[in-house]
Amino acid sequence: MNWEAFRAGAIARIAPSLVIFASLFLLPISYFFVISFWRVRSYQLRTDLTLDQYREVFQNFAYPLAYTLAVAFAIAAVTTLLAFAYAYYCRFKTWRFGITLVFLALLTLFGGYLTKIYMWKTILGSAGLLNSALLQLELISEPLTVLLYNVGAVIITLVHYTLPLAILPIYGSLRGVDDVPLEAARDLGASRSRVFFDIILPQCRLGILSAFSLSFIFAAGDYVTPLMVGGTSTSMIGLLIEAQFGARLNSPLGSALSFSVITSCALIILLVAAVLHVLVRPRD
Amino acid sequence: MYQDPCSASAAYARHQEQMSSLVELRGISRTYGPIIAVEPTDLDIKEGEFVAILGPSGCGKTTLLRMIGGFISPSSGVIKLDGQDMTRVGPEARPTNMVFQGYGLFPHMTVAQNVGYGLRLAGIAAEERARRVQDALRLVHLDDFGGRRIDELSGGQRQRIALVRALVMRPKVLLLDEPLAALDLKLRRAMQDEFRRIHAVTGGTFVFVTHDQEEAMSLATRICVMERGRIVQDGTPREIYLQPRTRFVSRFIGEANLFHGRRQSGHVHLDNGLSFAHEGDDGEVDCVVRPENMVIASTSDTSPSKRYDMNITAKLVDMTFMGPNVQYKLITGNGEDAMVETSNEDRKSSIETGANVMLWWNSAVQRIVTE
Repeated sequence: MNWEAFRAGAIARIAPSLVIFASLFLLPISYFFVISFWRVRSYQLRTDLTLDQYREVFQNFAYPLAYTLAVAFAIAAVTTLLAFAYAYYCRFKTWRFGITLVFLALLTLFGGYLTKIYMWKTILGSAGLLNSALLQLELISEPLTVLLYNVGAVIITLVHYTLPLAILPIYGSLRGVDDVPLEAARDLGASRSRVFFDIILPQCRLGILSAFSLSFIFAAGDYVTPLMVGGTSTSMIGLLIEAQFGARLNSPLGSALSFSVITSCALIILLVAAVLHVLVRPRD
Repeated sequence: MYQDPCSASAAYARHQEQMSSLVELRGISRTYGPIIAVEPTDLDIKEGEFVAILGPSGCGKTTLLRMIGGFISPSSGVIKLDGQDMTRVGPEARPTNMVFQGYGLFPHMTVAQNVGYGLRLAGIAAEERARRVQDALRLVHLDDFGGRRIDELSGGQRQRIALVRALVMRPKVLLLDEPLAALDLKLRRAMQDEFRRIHAVTGGTFVFVTHDQEEAMSLATRICVMERGRIVQDGTPREIYLQPRTRFVSRFIGEANLFHGRRQSGHVHLDNGLSFAHEGDDGEVDCVVRPENMVIASTSDTSPSKRYDMNITAKLVDMTFMGPNVQYKLITGNGEDAMVETSNEDRKSSIETGANVMLWWNSAVQRIVTE
């Protein structure tokens, strides 16, 4: 087979997935990108080219945007740390049962998204499990109301939900770490912690970045969890975007908000990637 | 050299040996639950020696090496390196460095970063580090490879980088765990020459583990043969080959014919009918003769050469042309398998498969083993 024919064959083979990707992702997202430069007048979408929506975002939505990114960052950071600890334990401390433990973690995804939200409502609510237990133990006299309907509850719920998804890429990259170089590093004078920072961590940089990105994007875009357990004070951007598309009938502003979130997320992930790269790159 | 352990001069010699030993193992053993990987073992290695620990897989040779390197802690016994008790010291603090089976190069580092890693940990200044790394790479003719990635190297190049990554630390003892097992035959030969040259240049003490008797013979100045967790014989390659102490050693190192018999009051009677005087305890014995020390002659030839004083009858079963040599497979009169290897020139073209022949050898080359 010559090269031209090979290339033609390869294109033919990936064509179906390209068509699906373009029609179900690129096309809709391009549509929203275009209308983010339009405006709405008397409930009508007007095709005038304008940056008004982005001005609006910076003037009125800068705080919720920054707040959302900060919360999402916290969720992603906590998730990545916990996922790393779990994946590390599975890879290095469980002999050959590691894959079983990872499978068990993935099994919790069957619980579903809403189920987990209601589960945390049941645990953290004023008549919930935690309060009942504390009351029974007479550690408190009144139910604690600070547990639910705040940003803490949002963080707990989203960490719990994205954790299995974050474990997978980290475990995958840790599985790729060969044991012999770890012994070789010890032999060359490295302490256990040096082996970790010099040999193990650099080799699972991409897994860590994948895990972080996955939970960060999910947390930054989510609007159900803040609605259900976040209370009125947790003004995460997903809720506001949802409102623009729904009640307020302002899809150009909603689109502009969405693209502001997407762009900020991309920048933060690139920044995290760069920091990770600098932190764990091999020294001469 | 085997010496009578009771004589005074032997005791003195042993004392002298202990004084100058770089590695001293005293009663080192390792068990895994009910499984004994290494039986209590004593071993002394002197500076400058190139020791091969030779044995079949599962004989405990790698466990023994890893105990010297500090990767496995012994169940009993004491390990001294350069006079210091190192039994409970981790690998990072021992004056040993290891070349691992499978090399264990760091895949995310360049060649130079790999070789310089240990020096960086030791706090060697950047300038000296770079110089030593470059010297090390020059030693294995990979001067220009410092900036390469590990996955750009061939198997032989990786092997050499793994070797100098350990050597650059100037270890008191260099440990090598089946260092050539992953290479093909030609490359293995080339690396054996390389190892010998580097040992000569650096003058270091090398201990390497192998299951390949040919490799052990060609590299080592001293071979320790291990079987089922014990060192069964320890000597120069010459001694191990010419004076095997047990049936196992005689079979494992090179090819050997074992003729079974009994020894009674100073006389050995072999099942094939031969008998001769040989001092020792009564009991079952085997007479070991190497295939290259025997010749084949027709039954009518009563004495092919004055050198040969032992002969038995046998039937030729198979004949294989091996290039420089011809290998004959035979069955002796009493039904034992035998093998003879002669050089191509000596081939008796008149002898055909199935013929009855005489096997001759000189009694001076035979060994009587009891274990």
